[in-house]
Amino acid sequence: MSKDMKFLVVDDFSTMRRIIKNLLIDLGYANVTEADDGATALPMLQAGNFDFLITDWNMPGMPGLDLLKAVRADARLAKIPVLMLTAEAKREQIIEAAQAGVNGYVIKPFTAVTLKEKIDKILETRANAA
Amino acid sequence: MTIGIAALQQEFGAHIAALAGALAAGDEDRFLSELDSLVQRREQSLFGELRKLTTDLQSALERFTVDSRLVDLAEKEVPDARHRLDHVLKLTDEAAHKTMDLVEQSFPIAERTAKQADSIVGMWRRFRSRSIEVGEFRVMLEQMDTFLESARTDMDKVRGNLGEVLLAQGYQDISGQIIRGVMKLVGELETALVDLVRLSRTGPKSAKSAIVERTTGFGPAIPGVDNGPAVSGQQDVDALLSGLGM
Repeated sequence: MSKDMKFLVVDDFSTMRRIIKNLLIDLGYANVTEADDGATALPMLQAGNFDFLITDWNMPGMPGLDLLKAVRADARLAKIPVLMLTAEAKREQIIEAAQAGVNGYVIKPFTAVTLKEKIDKILETRANAA
Repeated sequence: MTIGIAALQQEFGAHIAALAGALAAGDEDRFLSELDSLVQRREQSLFGELRKLTTDLQSALERFTVDSRLVDLAEKEVPDARHRLDHVLKLTDEAAHKTMDLVEQSFPIAERTAKQADSIVGMWRRFRSRSIEVGEFRVMLEQMDTFLESARTDMDKVRGNLGEVLLAQGYQDISGQIIRGVMKLVGELETALVDLVRLSRTGPKSAKSAIVERTTGFGPAIPGVDNGPAVSGQQDVDALLSGLGM
């Protein structure tokens, strides 16, 4: 996967979306789209050829976990790598996300290094599995 | 609770007749005993009504304390909300200081780079217009070497600092989530209090609430929250003050 991978960043806080977008650009990924809720993100994913999904959990319309499950349930979207980036830190939640098929889980507050590591790891695992 | 004039006629009719009869006949004992029994009858029905009202109120109160979130809110969630808001204070404080630290670190670096460029530019211009002397040319070369190297490392440091500033803004997301949680709690508190007020309003109108002496201030102006006329910026403040003759 190259540096023109299409990212979708989903978070109900615009400041957080902006931070993640800037970090991705810094890592060389310039193709970044934003959505403010799972509910707005899902139709965008269905319409759009995204290669990577980064999503928050706690969102008023459709929470990140539900978005993840919807993505995994849709044959056209099921293979998209999903990284959860959230302040939700309870063990049961992390387990639930893992069971729902998340590829990575990053807790807020996070560092640029952590984000890079997790993205790299997901892409590496994917490349090895291919 | 009215029971209808017909029922009253049935209940009291005979006794009233007996009472009037005793009065007309001058029968003091009979009159007083009929009067007592009338009064007693009336008291009993009044007590009956009062008992029913009391029971109704009691069960309403019981239902309220059982159903109401008020107890939970008071004992657990309101103190919890205070801690959460305290944490928000801490987060915003830390983020502001961290950002200012990074700015303070970056400022001198930027200044230094500009100064170094400044000290070279004269020589460089003379070099370009072929009017530089050999001695100065050698100095220029040395300074260029140092400058190119240090500009690179300095800018790397500034870029790093800017990246840290970016990350530091993450406090807004976290404190925003906390504040939303507390807003939800305030909503629940409002509901519970409205219920309580409604319940207590069956009695006479409550006394007007005392006027609170306001010395503690209203806090930062928040668009949409009206605490009375407020200024909308420094120019307004200055205009207001100069209008008052200051």
